[in-house]
Amino acid sequence: MTSYFIRRFLLIVPTFIGVTILVFTLTRLVPGGPIERMMSEARLAGDETAASSYDSQGGSTLSDAQLEDLKAYYGFDKPVVVSYFEWLGKVLVLDLGRSTRYSDPVWDTITDRLPVSIFYGIWTLILTYGVCIPLGMYKAIRHKTAFDNVTSAVIFAGYAIPSYVVALLLLTIFAANLEWFPLGGFVGPDFDELSLIGKAGDLFIHAVLPLIAYTAGSFAFSTILMKNSLMDNLAAEYVRTAVAKGMDFKRAIFGHAFRNSLIPLATGFGNNISLILTGSFLIEKIFNIDGFGLLGFESLVERDYPVVMGILVLSSLLFLIGNILSDICVALVDPRVKFGSGETSQ
Amino acid sequence: MDCPAKNIAALAFGALLTAGCGSETNIHLELGTTHEPYAPPETAVVLPPIEVREGDGLPDTLPEDLVWITNDEDPVFASPDAKRGGTFHTSISGFPLTLRRVGPDSNGSFAGFLRPNQFGPIALHPDTRRAIPALATHWAFGADGRSIYYRLNPKARWSDGVPVTADDFVFAVQFMRSKAIVAPWYNNYYTERIRDLKRYDDHTYGVQGANAMPGAEMHGSYGIGPQPRHFHVLNEDWVANTNWQIEPNTGPYQVTKVRKGKYLEMTRKADWWGNDLRYFKHRFNPDKIRVDVIRDPNVAFQHFLKGNLDTMGLVLPQYWHDKATGAAFDRGYIVKYWFYNEQPEASGMYLNMSDPILADERVRFGIAHSMDFERVITTVLRNDYDRLSTFQIGFGDYDNNDIQPREFDLDKADAYFDAAGFETRGGDGIRINDAGQRLSFQVTYGWPQHTDRLVVLQEEARKAGLELVLDLKDGPGSFKKMLEKKHQIAWSGWAAGGLAPGYWEHFHSVNANKTQTNNITNHANPRMDPLIMQYRASTSLEERVRLARILEQMVHDSGVVVPTFRVPYTRAGAWRWVKLPESLAPRTSASMFSAFADTGGFSGGGLFWIDLEEKERTLEAKSDGESFGPTTIVNTTYRVQPAS
Amino acid sequence: MKTATTDSRLADSASGRSPQRPSRLREGFTINPQTVKQWRRFRSIKRGYYSAVALVVALILSAGAELLVNGRALIVSYDGELYFPTYGDIIPGNTFGRDYEYETDYRDLKALFKEQDRGNWVLMPPVPYGPLENDLIPGYFPPYAPSFESGHYLGTDQTGRDVLARLIYGFRIAFAFAFLLLLCNYLIGIAVGCAMGFWGGVFDLLFQRVIEIWNMVPSLYVIMIVTSIVIPNFWTLAVVMVIFGWTQMTWNMRTSTYKEKTREYVLAARALGASNTRQIGSHVIPNTISVIVSFIPFSIAGGIFLLTALDYLGFGLPPPTPSWGELLAQGQNHIVTAPWIILSVGISISIVLIMVNYIGEAVREAFDPKKHAYYQ
Repeated sequence: MTSYFIRRFLLIVPTFIGVTILVFTLTRLVPGGPIERMMSEARLAGDETAASSYDSQGGSTLSDAQLEDLKAYYGFDKPVVVSYFEWLGKVLVLDLGRSTRYSDPVWDTITDRLPVSIFYGIWTLILTYGVCIPLGMYKAIRHKTAFDNVTSAVIFAGYAIPSYVVALLLLTIFAANLEWFPLGGFVGPDFDELSLIGKAGDLFIHAVLPLIAYTAGSFAFSTILMKNSLMDNLAAEYVRTAVAKGMDFKRAIFGHAFRNSLIPLATGFGNNISLILTGSFLIEKIFNIDGFGLLGFESLVERDYPVVMGILVLSSLLFLIGNILSDICVALVDPRVKFGSGETSQ
Repeated sequence: MDCPAKNIAALAFGALLTAGCGSETNIHLELGTTHEPYAPPETAVVLPPIEVREGDGLPDTLPEDLVWITNDEDPVFASPDAKRGGTFHTSISGFPLTLRRVGPDSNGSFAGFLRPNQFGPIALHPDTRRAIPALATHWAFGADGRSIYYRLNPKARWSDGVPVTADDFVFAVQFMRSKAIVAPWYNNYYTERIRDLKRYDDHTYGVQGANAMPGAEMHGSYGIGPQPRHFHVLNEDWVANTNWQIEPNTGPYQVTKVRKGKYLEMTRKADWWGNDLRYFKHRFNPDKIRVDVIRDPNVAFQHFLKGNLDTMGLVLPQYWHDKATGAAFDRGYIVKYWFYNEQPEASGMYLNMSDPILADERVRFGIAHSMDFERVITTVLRNDYDRLSTFQIGFGDYDNNDIQPREFDLDKADAYFDAAGFETRGGDGIRINDAGQRLSFQVTYGWPQHTDRLVVLQEEARKAGLELVLDLKDGPGSFKKMLEKKHQIAWSGWAAGGLAPGYWEHFHSVNANKTQTNNITNHANPRMDPLIMQYRASTSLEERVRLARILEQMVHDSGVVVPTFRVPYTRAGAWRWVKLPESLAPRTSASMFSAFADTGGFSGGGLFWIDLEEKERTLEAKSDGESFGPTTIVNTTYRVQPAS
Repeated sequence: MKTATTDSRLADSASGRSPQRPSRLREGFTINPQTVKQWRRFRSIKRGYYSAVALVVALILSAGAELLVNGRALIVSYDGELYFPTYGDIIPGNTFGRDYEYETDYRDLKALFKEQDRGNWVLMPPVPYGPLENDLIPGYFPPYAPSFESGHYLGTDQTGRDVLARLIYGFRIAFAFAFLLLLCNYLIGIAVGCAMGFWGGVFDLLFQRVIEIWNMVPSLYVIMIVTSIVIPNFWTLAVVMVIFGWTQMTWNMRTSTYKEKTREYVLAARALGASNTRQIGSHVIPNTISVIVSFIPFSIAGGIFLLTALDYLGFGLPPPTPSWGELLAQGQNHIVTAPWIILSVGISISIVLIMVNYIGEAVREAFDPKKHAYYQ
């Protein structure tokens, strides 16, 4: 099995190169890159129109040489393959380049956002599992009761309504009208002056609404998964036998069925480490949180290719490692699983 | 908010292009990332002298016969009641990408905070549109018709206390011509349009431009701003090194606090050199300007309703009529202001003449008569906007007010389309010509919020048998398509502004059928070209006005532009404690609550003030639920009667 | 039907399924008793069954939406002649004695005929507005509130278009989109997934990497590239989405095939000399059909969600196509001033997705032969 995992780790390399080369090439094809953005900004003002009162931007077009200079500045002057390998070479020494929008090192731009994203990522994780596992268990035991029906409706409603709509409704009702919570932000303006407890409270009160919006949609899947798999196990012979032999039902659940029911959840667990790099940009925009979702989406839309590639490097690595971690989790939870003997599971 | 072109125009106008870093004004830079401390050079860098071409060049000594002019007779427009103090709260939708005023990404929305604080030698009076002193106290025009001489105010200082001298202007040309700033358009402008700049003494210099023009307009084209030569090191790392540096400026406010991703703060310079100047007195009143980053406009509005933001633009009909309602408005805590201004505007549908069907002027006229703008104005736009009558308008005497825009008239559209061969209608009601071509065009546009207007036009145009296919792209995408002339009909607007309309870039044949020029209609008319050149070369105001009106008529006659809407006003809501002069704003003001000098090219901003006592009263009344009664103030003094 | 071993059941427990005996799908048109049982079980799960009935009814109704929600009349009787304008070419106004050549305004015509009282009449659909029509009243500013009198039962959007009409036509487009995605993704997914699982080895390894790579590519860029070349339409968007959507089903099919492949019955078939095609066609796929079926509702929900999100972000179908995402975006801007927009579309999305999920649950249970144990 060790050799299997070593092989999996080695396979990360070709996959990583494949992903990055594909996206790198795509960035060359997307219309409206940084040079065109620059042009459109400069274009909107004209030559000796009246506009030139104060606006000193000439209406003349750029010469080819000037365009070449711009291309060189943004690194578009070389063939894709050449610049890709240059980029890759830098990545290997942990240099992700500079953002074309912020002129800041990409690494700094990304790490600036990490604390916020990790905070929300971890709390989303805790809340999701903290709610889904007990709820799924309870629903499995109370299958087809009113409780089951009502909670199903609620979690599916949460799943169905887009999270950005939830976010906006929450903000309008609880922050704007009732004034129970602040109007967005990660922390309050005077955060630095607060005591430790004050800081925690400040963080909490700012996090309530975004966390609800983040998690509202994520309950459905895990809860139903938990419920189904627990029901399967409760139906299995070994549990029935145990109960038939007079075992306390609680013990039957917690001693036998529960652990086996966690397997399907465990298969997805490793992937959660890439959760910190996702985050919905719309929620972040509405709650004014300077997190990863916003950075990712803005860099895509604004064609900030170094940042796009930087995020890709991180997220693809995390994703690939997460897949392997999932397998390890499964192996830990389920000792019967043997990887590497022809059948690979995901 | 509504008209991106207009906003960007406003930014571009403020563009006295400079850079610099303050040290004296208590700069407290809190950045998320660490940067090597930037060390300004001990001594000024030696740059090569300004290159002057054959046939250009200013005299070596100051000409004796110059007539020095100043302006101290135009009316003062600031209110003497203004009180200094308080903090003004406002917001932007994204954190700036840079604090530079020049170079990559310096055109973002924060440029509107940086550039107006970088003064030029003169400013333009917001009522009379005449030059008024800024960094310079006096100016004189050279005999060659294309040069101006300025005499600087010896009191003028950079924010770090260094005096502003003629050397800073010499440096500005060298700076702007340098490749290090990665701003090729500036490179071009300072090479092509600015031909020479010469220092005569510490406070006197002259500047020469490419061609002659009337004096008033020469200020606009050649009256470039200074750059702090004691600050900049021009090398290939300049862009990255200066990205988050606070450059010295000459205006009343300087950035003093930066929290990346969250907010920026600007502080009023206590002993600003311009405090007592005739046209700057009683202006720029708040001590601090706090700029929060609030990304979602709906959320920003909520902050405004709570009083976290002092003012909010209400130009869009939906904002003014629907959103700006509720208790805070009914009780008069927030006052609504509506000011009709005189701002140059140019927005329209630009028909691409290189399209084989659009090449036929009868089709173009037919299209114009199929557009029911009236219906859009009376419903979706709530009667707030006006129909624009000409390609561009708002330049005072230059405007050709005799032109009536082609009105929505199905009979006329019918006649034109029939004449162009589109006589029969297909099963879907769209016209077809004998060759089987459908009368269908793509309308390329880049602002999703304009979809409302277009879908109404689209439905009405079907009645004329004309199909419009809406081609919504994201901003850069739509612009690229237009500049590559791949569009059929472009729905767009231009950053019109300043003193006189421009025709060469939009209609001269040298710019037609070429990518990356502003002639997006590919308009080429051999009769019009010489007139455009004559207009460009003329130095007589009278002659230029006459020619501009003829040119505007020719544009109208060609039918390549279907003028769309004109926003004849600026509107905003403000909490009761933000006070304005009685007239609200000067004639040309693009924004009543601009904290800085510049509002759309004219020096009409910075007039409001924060009344701290009133603030206390208002907040008290608010917590007691007491009402002042709803207050809406409208000033229609400068309202232009709509064309139709 | 407890045929599965404990072991295989555990392996399958992730989706609560267990294998069936190979059914003989090729034996004419007689209904497989297995299918009958599954159908009975499905019917017995009430909320899933009723959701399915409701959704099918809604789909049938929306397929004929032109007859129910339309600005065109159903029947016009003019000078003794009957006209049926609903489908086909437009009928210009001058056909009915009006003075214009463009499409007849039937609501106007109805009022006119009534006034003239000459025996002419117009029968309008229950909702007399099309999804693209701007019903604008000069001097009154949209969005107009819901009103029975005007026939805008859910009000209008900000350009005076009927919200109900746009909801219904948007529903039709979203469902068609989701079905198309489903079909293409499943065809590709089943073919590639089976092949990966069945052959394994280098082929499997290669495609695993392809899928991993594919999952990381920002589809937004591909849409932007496509948009820069053509105006996106239903088909181009569907193609782009299929290009990125096939991986999920492929992955699932691969895992299922892997499991089935090692089962005794497949091994037996192979020992008896069955060809690869036969092994896959008559043994593997029939036994994975429960996997496929139980994923369908979630794929549909996913497809609807995807199109809505794209439209909301402005990268979807071009205006003025009726779409839920566009309504959401509008509703968000009018959350206080015109709550009927966000309420209409928000509730519609929720109901449809909840129903689809209930169906999914029921289908899964129907295909799962085990009786669940639950104790009081």
